[in-house]
Amino acid sequence: MASKWRQLFALLAVFGLFTAAACSSDDGGGVSGGYTIGLVTDTGKVDDKSFNQSAWDGAKKGAANIPASATASYIETEESKDYANNIQLFLDDGAKIIVTVGFGLGGATIEAAQANPDVLFIGVDQWQNEALPNLVGLMFPEANAGFMAGALAGMLTETNIVGAVLGTDLVPPVVFFKEGWENGARYTNPEVQTISTYHPGGLDVAFGDPEWGATTARQALDQGADIIFGAGGATGNGALIEVAGEAGALCVGVDQDQWFTVPEAHSCLVTSAMKLIDIGVAHLIAQAYAGTMEGGNYFGEVGLAPFHDFDGVVTSEMRSTLEEVMAGLADGSINPMP
Amino acid sequence: MSRSILRSVAVPLAAVILGLLIGALLIVSQGASPIAAYSSLLKGGLGDGDALLRTLQKATPLIFGGLAVAFAFKAGLFNIGGQGQLLVGAVFAAAVGFGVDGLPTFIHLPAALIAGALAGAIWGGIAGALKATTGAHEVIVTIMLNFVAGNLTDWLSANPWKDNSGNNIVARTPLVEDSATIPTLGAVPVGFLLAVITAIGCWMILERSTYGFEVRSVGQNKNAAHYAGIKVGWIMASTMAVAGTLAALGGAVESLGVDGRFEAGVNVGLGFEGITIALLARANPLGVIPAALLVGLMEAGASRMQFKAGVAPELIDVIQALILFFVAAPMIVRWLLRMRQGDSEQLRLGAGWGNS
Repeated sequence: MASKWRQLFALLAVFGLFTAAACSSDDGGGVSGGYTIGLVTDTGKVDDKSFNQSAWDGAKKGAANIPASATASYIETEESKDYANNIQLFLDDGAKIIVTVGFGLGGATIEAAQANPDVLFIGVDQWQNEALPNLVGLMFPEANAGFMAGALAGMLTETNIVGAVLGTDLVPPVVFFKEGWENGARYTNPEVQTISTYHPGGLDVAFGDPEWGATTARQALDQGADIIFGAGGATGNGALIEVAGEAGALCVGVDQDQWFTVPEAHSCLVTSAMKLIDIGVAHLIAQAYAGTMEGGNYFGEVGLAPFHDFDGVVTSEMRSTLEEVMAGLADGSINPMP
Repeated sequence: MSRSILRSVAVPLAAVILGLLIGALLIVSQGASPIAAYSSLLKGGLGDGDALLRTLQKATPLIFGGLAVAFAFKAGLFNIGGQGQLLVGAVFAAAVGFGVDGLPTFIHLPAALIAGALAGAIWGGIAGALKATTGAHEVIVTIMLNFVAGNLTDWLSANPWKDNSGNNIVARTPLVEDSATIPTLGAVPVGFLLAVITAIGCWMILERSTYGFEVRSVGQNKNAAHYAGIKVGWIMASTMAVAGTLAALGGAVESLGVDGRFEAGVNVGLGFEGITIALLARANPLGVIPAALLVGLMEAGASRMQFKAGVAPELIDVIQALILFFVAAPMIVRWLLRMRQGDSEQLRLGAGWGNS
């Protein structure tokens, strides 16, 4: 008898939960109503200490800065076949601005922008061949960032050999980082030799191969390089960690301040060539809200990360040279990719 | 009859309920409302035509993947190779889909499906034939073939079959022709109907045919089956080929009906979820359908749950794991339901292990 009651009770409890779930509206706790900003990540998390996190920080800043009581929310893409679905969820919810993060979402973003001319789209790292009035691609002058890092490396190297371990040359930003890095090193140190290696694999493996990154960094070290630029997701991180094991060698990170993302590299990480994604996203959200956003491509800012433990290694002379370089890049008197 | 059905669904049903209840506690512990979370999950998976379409699209490869595992279970074989079989099915179906043109749909579409299915039959059949002839354990062989299939399909989509349109740099094939595209009827993808028909077909073969009887005999006792005159080696090899065909059809339907092409990296994990589905369905081909619908619904609704209720989509994985835990450890459920030992049919998971 007791078991019957137990079963009945359990059934009732579950039934109650589901009836409540089915009947209740889910709009209360969500973002509906008011000015809403949606962000769709690439297959990654908003706390990835990298790309997606920067963009999400920017979306939150952007939402906080505009006068309307705007709310930002995000969807983390679990499978790349859900790009369009996740964008559509925000459209159905009446989002005014949708930020999509990463090269991979480019196609889905263009389609959504064409189908929804009243919604404004910001595509991070999505180059627009043809300008749509309601879609702006947030791009970065990676060559400038690479040039700044290279200029510093040219001054820091004692062997006059600098190395770079890179993701695939199929992706233009990687090429820009590399060219800028080499030219920057030559700018401050005409004697310098460069050893730069691209990952030979396709797009699906080039950024996820830390073993190859480590091996390639090791080869560059063996050939006398004493400062190495790791640019290529996990592949580049593998290079940084390998360099950290070599006494006296230095390394340079990419995209974000990798002091925070690759703590294993603290013993070599002198700086990182950063793309300021958060500032760019926040700026474009402000433009979109004000109605001044122009379709096409928008170039965000780049810069060097703080030197952290290596603050004492970078002399005031080097700092003033770096400032000249940055000024030269900003006013166009220095061309990072001649 | 109805009583035996009730018995066989009691444990999975109770496992689902327990999983959702514990999931609700986890949601509360994150400071969110379980009612808001589950209602946005339901709305995201069933709320309108788009939501239903998403759920059915998610469920389709899960049905095929679940059948691929369940069918092999019946012969006492543990097919871990669903992922590899799905990948070869997806890439070969896409190849026929984009590589041939000028055919009418009623020839082109079946041809593409058959190409994928054949590739899967070969991929699964390799493991079965090795098991039958050399005794190589199918678990090891299918796991290793998963890696081979992953690299083979990456290479095919990055080299000979690469999409060279525009300035594409991604490893993917061109879009399949319209004549090889699986259509969608309203909110119901035709691929889903195909999956349901296949599940019913599998059930008929296993329960109503001589071949199915032989498969089940081998699964229950290989030696007895041998003495009864059943060709055990042939049954094992052919069962794995059938299992490979089933998983590959799932991949083919993804390429032809959902993605419109094969792209390296987008089907990651789909084949492995078949194991979840088969366990949840207790290796019953008909049980695979509701199991896949449940998991498909949860996956389709997870995005909405995230941005509406602020619950991370990983919760879905946790709930799935809990459900599996309760299915695999039926003692707990039986104790809760006060069922007697013999009341629920035991699922023999270990039949493939150590008895060769």
